[in-house]
Amino acid sequence: MTQKYVGGCDVGSTTGKAAILDETGKVVASAIVPSEIDPEITSLKALEQACGQVPGLGSYKNLARIVGTGYGRNEVPFAHENISEISCHAMGTFYCNRDIKTIVDIGGQDVKTISIADDGSVLEFAMNDKCAAGTGRFLEAMSRIFRMDLDQFSLLSLKAVKIIPVTAQCSVFAESEVISLLARKSPPEEVAAGINAAVAKRCFSLLKRIGMRPLVTVTGGCAKNQGLIKAIKKSINMEVAPLPVDPQIIGALGAAVFAGRSGRG
Amino acid sequence: MKVFQDLLETPLNYLVEQAAADGRIPIGYSCSFVPEAFLMADKLFPVRLHAPGVAGTEIADIYLSNFICTYTRSLLEFAVDDRFDLLKGWVFVPSCVHMQRLYDNLEYLKKPAFSHILDVPRKVTAATLAWQTEELQALADKLASHFGVDMSHDSLNAAIAQWNRFAAVIQAIGELRKPPDPLITGTEFHRLLMAALVSPKDLILPKILDFKKEIEKRDGIGKFRARLMVTGSHLHDPELIRVMESQGGLVAADLFCTGSIPGFMPVEIGMKTNSDPIRALAEHAFKKTLCPRMMEDFDRRLKTIIDTVREYRIDGVVIEIIKFCDLWGVDSMPMVAALRKEGIPVLKLEREYAPGGEGQLRTRIQAFIESMGK
Repeated sequence: MTQKYVGGCDVGSTTGKAAILDETGKVVASAIVPSEIDPEITSLKALEQACGQVPGLGSYKNLARIVGTGYGRNEVPFAHENISEISCHAMGTFYCNRDIKTIVDIGGQDVKTISIADDGSVLEFAMNDKCAAGTGRFLEAMSRIFRMDLDQFSLLSLKAVKIIPVTAQCSVFAESEVISLLARKSPPEEVAAGINAAVAKRCFSLLKRIGMRPLVTVTGGCAKNQGLIKAIKKSINMEVAPLPVDPQIIGALGAAVFAGRSGRG
Repeated sequence: MKVFQDLLETPLNYLVEQAAADGRIPIGYSCSFVPEAFLMADKLFPVRLHAPGVAGTEIADIYLSNFICTYTRSLLEFAVDDRFDLLKGWVFVPSCVHMQRLYDNLEYLKKPAFSHILDVPRKVTAATLAWQTEELQALADKLASHFGVDMSHDSLNAAIAQWNRFAAVIQAIGELRKPPDPLITGTEFHRLLMAALVSPKDLILPKILDFKKEIEKRDGIGKFRARLMVTGSHLHDPELIRVMESQGGLVAADLFCTGSIPGFMPVEIGMKTNSDPIRALAEHAFKKTLCPRMMEDFDRRLKTIIDTVREYRIDGVVIEIIKFCDLWGVDSMPMVAALRKEGIPVLKLEREYAPGGEGQLRTRIQAFIESMGK
């Protein structure tokens, strides 16, 4: 194998993501796998799946350098370095589009807003505190009430003509509020849109804490929820810049970019 | 180090029990405006009120709303759980509205034989200094009458001399944090200091001196990525500092109620105060306590932080705020802006009194250090 590859692995609470870059810095493979209880196994699965897509690479052991990120970053024993997901999301986004200055990262267990400096480093960031409201877990719990997966839930909310506001910020109270609304025969699409609007409002308050600068993008698994993206656009009164890669792998991509630079150097 | 860790496991540790068994009088206090030296006169000794390992505040939540900070709710929980029963009394300060409500509830639910609320003005002027001296005199009279202890000037001067000896040791250990390659971590320092604040000074001092000798023999404490200063609300559990240091952020300086800057300067007796120890203690409390409860004192707090950043070669400041702490919550907004204007990186952390959520905290600290290019 003459070509050298580097990898980034983002071990999240819901999924593990991996991205592989070649020597020119081009993304040659990526993978998303469900999280296992053991973050080490998650990272192994994600990396092996991504490496399997690269002819001649074979195993993660042939990667020149690996950077781990995400909540399980400390548990990736074969990573050469671990870097926080905040820095990795900033770098991954910077790699994709240098005009993007602000990120909303909606992950499984937290929501972060990140302000990016001109060199791709982090200027400022804010995170939700000890509360699941507005996270992927929150949306998962809400979609379960509708007996839908997240994709169906997203499509449902896009059908709404009106929005029924969901006022509760706490996941537990929001769940009971949504059940009551549905029991009162409120149109499900309007309730679903209300849920997305509540999450968008929370993102907006976190964006205000760091000083929102255009362009703004959304990363993380929840960025695929088009109903939520629509609600965020409305809430921030601004377009959401699209990304040329799957927004869910941005953290892993940023980690791979750092790996290519031999760490943060 | 384990000796200090052990002393922090319970609200009233074995040294407190030992001193109480010897007929000495433990008095709890909640705020740095209560001069420790004052409660060291005669048979008295001060114990800083803390709630180590508090797991929940179910009972306290009945009496104090969810918008009251978890420090006050934790103290109430421990009080109704009889965890402070060894104390012979306590002295509170209306530091903030939350503390006042705590005191009110304690008076109603768990009034000890001796309780006192020390009124502290919110401005430092000649008139308020005179007021504070009178307030302390009233407390001295009340203690003397209730416990039969000697609160005379001679007795207070002896207590001040003892406190000054203790403070000098703490200051000297604090100085070891200053060099580029310090001899003590922030976690070790705060374990030691917090243990000292909840123990009788004379009983813990030999242990501190032993530890000082031990660390002076060290070559260093290894490499850290950045030097941090921590400021903010009550920080009693060194666990928060341990997590920061586990991410490579050496906590080299601090400014909070149980920190060392500028809290451990000696009490000046007989110089500006005509040998009136009570006035000297009032003056000292105003000088050493940089609390956002005080009005028109923002610039002094800001200057102290900026000076400390320079003196201790600090890379970034962490402002930690217990959720719903009105004082630090409001103060942090202009403080963050003012520090950033000086080019000092700042991270604002909201937390609960009891440590928790280590994963999130680690991410924030690591990202903060990375954002400084470290």
